[in-house]
Amino acid sequence: MATSITIDVPLNRVEGDLEIRAQIEDGVVTDAWAAGTMFRGFETILRGRAPMDALVITPRICGLCSTAHLAVAALALDALSGAVPPPDATRVRNLALMAEHFQNDVRHGLLMFAVDFANPAYAKHSLYREAVERYQPFAGSSALGTLRASKRILEIVAILGGQWPHSAYMVPGGVACVPAPTDLMLCRQILQQARLWYESQVLGCTVERWQRVDSAAALDAWLAESPAHANSDLGFLLRFGREAGLERTGAGPGNFLCFGALPIPADSAVRGPTSSGFLVPAGFVHGALNEPFDQAEVVEHVSHSWYEDYRGGKHPFHGETKPNATGRDGTKYSWAKAPRYRRKPSETGPLAEALVAAFPLFVDLVAKLGPNTLTRQLARLVRPATLLGAMDTWLTETTGEEGFLAAVEPIEDGEGFGTTQASRGALGHWIKVEGGQISHYQVITPTAWNASPRDSEGVRGPLEEALVGTRVADPENPVELGHVVRSFDPCLVCSVHTIGPDDRPLGRVVVGGSP
Amino acid sequence: MRRIICLGNALFEGDDAGPKVFALLSARALPEGVEVIDGGLGGLGLLRFLEGTERVVFVDSTVGLAPPDADVVTLDPARVAALASSGFDHAAGLPYLLKAMPLVLDTPTPSIGIVGIQGAHGRDVLERAATLALRLLGEPSATRGTEVPS
Repeated sequence: MATSITIDVPLNRVEGDLEIRAQIEDGVVTDAWAAGTMFRGFETILRGRAPMDALVITPRICGLCSTAHLAVAALALDALSGAVPPPDATRVRNLALMAEHFQNDVRHGLLMFAVDFANPAYAKHSLYREAVERYQPFAGSSALGTLRASKRILEIVAILGGQWPHSAYMVPGGVACVPAPTDLMLCRQILQQARLWYESQVLGCTVERWQRVDSAAALDAWLAESPAHANSDLGFLLRFGREAGLERTGAGPGNFLCFGALPIPADSAVRGPTSSGFLVPAGFVHGALNEPFDQAEVVEHVSHSWYEDYRGGKHPFHGETKPNATGRDGTKYSWAKAPRYRRKPSETGPLAEALVAAFPLFVDLVAKLGPNTLTRQLARLVRPATLLGAMDTWLTETTGEEGFLAAVEPIEDGEGFGTTQASRGALGHWIKVEGGQISHYQVITPTAWNASPRDSEGVRGPLEEALVGTRVADPENPVELGHVVRSFDPCLVCSVHTIGPDDRPLGRVVVGGSP
Repeated sequence: MRRIICLGNALFEGDDAGPKVFALLSARALPEGVEVIDGGLGGLGLLRFLEGTERVVFVDSTVGLAPPDADVVTLDPARVAALASSGFDHAAGLPYLLKAMPLVLDTPTPSIGIVGIQGAHGRDVLERAATLALRLLGEPSATRGTEVPS
């Protein structure tokens, strides 16, 4: 019997509401639709304003990744003004982004994703009691440890930028702050505490030991090597996730996009995984191919989105945001546009970063198992291990000898763009200035990539595609779908309610709620 | 140190009362030892602002927690914290923050006051909310604002 399940992802203050409907036949998802249910309109807000206003307005797009929006807005204005930030300004910008990633990754991994392991659906799972002991909200040992440890890391942003939240210190040509040596020392202390906690609770080993895990076999060996490994949060994710079958769900389209982030200053001792000059290299992986990224290949479709139609896809420099609310009739079902790269729906986030960087562990895991929910989540939980060393080095290298702000010419009319990797993946801002005012601004967020609706060729978005084929044991408590959705870390909160064939509600269950 | 933390999204109609009160308070000469913070969408990130302080008053938009005809109200922190019945998520706001607070702070837990602003808010409403926030903070010089029993 066919049954429709709707995953409501409501939001109050960050990003936008998301509703996901899944069609189930004989216990398996046969189709899915991801719908953004709220018009944001930031592109409209920005039109007619001074270019520098983007530095203040766009960080309000999201309360969780506001630093990333600030960073790409500054990069777009760098491009417009021709400014080149001094090396230490690049370090300071990078450090703020990395602090935001660290907090996001551990909070998502241990407070949002893992809490579903304590769902009553797993009452018969051999590790259920341990899951409750670890992740029960406000009581679980790992949950409380994560809350305590993660609350300080954003102080790095406040110390370097002079303010958090609503920091606006990244400006064309660099940063509008001059951190003192004592500031940098305090940041290092905060970072060292974060690292000690991360190694102790999350990894169960040192960062250096973890970085030697370079294949699926090495991962198994690492897990068996020590009780500290198996009993860490990472070890528990692997033990529980494998038994729950998370390696067999959530494949997605198999296209992985990374805009690239964290430029390495020429005088730095930090080495990236490739010769790109970025700690997080840009690229596009599909199948066995790992190709360079070209922002000119980005387009957005609106055939299934509540905007006035245009043919095919449009590059963000030419994109249009003209609302056209047609209701649920017809083909349109989302306020989100459908971004595509080289005409393909593309997943973005930590797994995409790892594959584009060709990290051997993730290349091997995907080669053996295909993309899946567990590997996607694994990539997120271990991403801080790729950041902590570089953060410490950049804090040590920052001297301010070349200043933190380059001379900047007045912003002339023209166009520019900024791209980076926010915590959830590829983020881009595209800006045009005419007569000294913003005439055009387009933002494409990571969640727009991952939770996009169908494009003009009718091809599903990554999250929609990842849900297809998922087996659901209990339509009234579809925790399996929650895992798949959460593995993409949409900037949203999940609850699930089920609807029968006649649209009659059957019940409502919170995914990620209290056990 | 005592703090007033104003919450909300200045760009989202209906959620913009807190930032507007922040602007009003920032223009006032505040008593020594009182700090006003634009908490914006900080959520759990605001935990650090609850450390090293003896009293914190939040100012936030509210819906459904006060009588329909009320505009500026005091809210019971325990009642607000009790709304955080589920786990952490991207919508975790003041309820989650208050419930987590006594479990994870590194300094003694501050006493909490909450000013809620309901419905449309003109200058008068915002001024009364600002005054009430100062009074809840323990500032005797603040004149009494409109409130309902918590």
